[in-house]
Amino acid sequence: MTDTLQLWLLFVAVGVGTFLIRLSFIQLHGSAEALINRSKHILMLLPPAILAALCIPAIIFSRPLTDYQVEYFQLAAALVAILIARFSRSVFWPVVGGMLCLWLLRFISS
Amino acid sequence: MNNCRKQFWLGVRDLLPLVSGVLPFGLIVGATGVSLGMTPEMVVGMSALFFAGSAQLAAYSLIQDNAPFIIILATAVVINLRFAIYSAAFAPLLGPLPKRYRFTLAYMLSDQTYGLCSMPEQMAKTTPERIGYLAGVTLALYVTWLVSVILGIALGAGIPPHWSLEFTIPLAFLAMLVTTITSRLLFMVAVISGSCAVLFQLLPFNTGFIVAVVAGVSGGLLLPGLLKTKGATHD
Repeated sequence: MTDTLQLWLLFVAVGVGTFLIRLSFIQLHGSAEALINRSKHILMLLPPAILAALCIPAIIFSRPLTDYQVEYFQLAAALVAILIARFSRSVFWPVVGGMLCLWLLRFISS
Repeated sequence: MNNCRKQFWLGVRDLLPLVSGVLPFGLIVGATGVSLGMTPEMVVGMSALFFAGSAQLAAYSLIQDNAPFIIILATAVVINLRFAIYSAAFAPLLGPLPKRYRFTLAYMLSDQTYGLCSMPEQMAKTTPERIGYLAGVTLALYVTWLVSVILGIALGAGIPPHWSLEFTIPLAFLAMLVTTITSRLLFMVAVISGSCAVLFQLLPFNTGFIVAVVAGVSGGLLLPGLLKTKGATHD
């Protein structure tokens, strides 16, 4: 997936797909009440499932994955990010705190 | 019409306090994009087409892993499924509009639009007023997002690779994860999905991600029933 043209095709495809999701119920207005009520529960469960699947392997192991090499500094950075996220409820400050922790640990150990 | 325009600018004004949340996220998206070796044009084009930061970050990490086209597309679409909720919420308002307004406003629906436009004081307004307000919020957000990404690109281009800027991606997802977990059930969903993602990360074509999400959601659907029957037998 490094070919430029292929990446542009991907971006357009995701753009169209996302637009169709955003348009979905607006376009179906008046004929989809039952479908909305049935899918609400699944849509509520999706965010934690997706986010956990995205971040947990990338935090525990080094990327790109060649063997199961656990990255302890990244784990420590993640703990800091979790602590900050519990208080700040934003995305920015946990990222800043986690990165500072990672850089600090690497600086000390080098 | 005049009143509608007034509502538009009111929407723009109400978005301004949210810039403090959008700007840093845009900076991260822009900076990590160039740190993965994409050209600035590609990062801006991607942001304009996606207009969805978390899907874009997910696409980054899959592009980095050399995942196949269809998996990246499926992942981004699954992440954006939440927009269906907003679409349902605004269907009565935007559904009857002429096509060009309906499509443009639908294209720019976002978490922030949903947050601002579904407040009780907005619901009390007339339909044209609400549409004007919504248009103001969405357009202002779209511009803010692109400007933040461009600033991020300018910033990210100067950061050396050994700073591991790409680690901001999982950290950002982790922060979002913490804020979405509002109940014990959602915590269990995250635990199931996260463990499966670790177990299955060497599956071919990065299908492990899809497997993990399906396992997490199935767990969330089945667990309450299982726990209830278990509790009933104890009684």
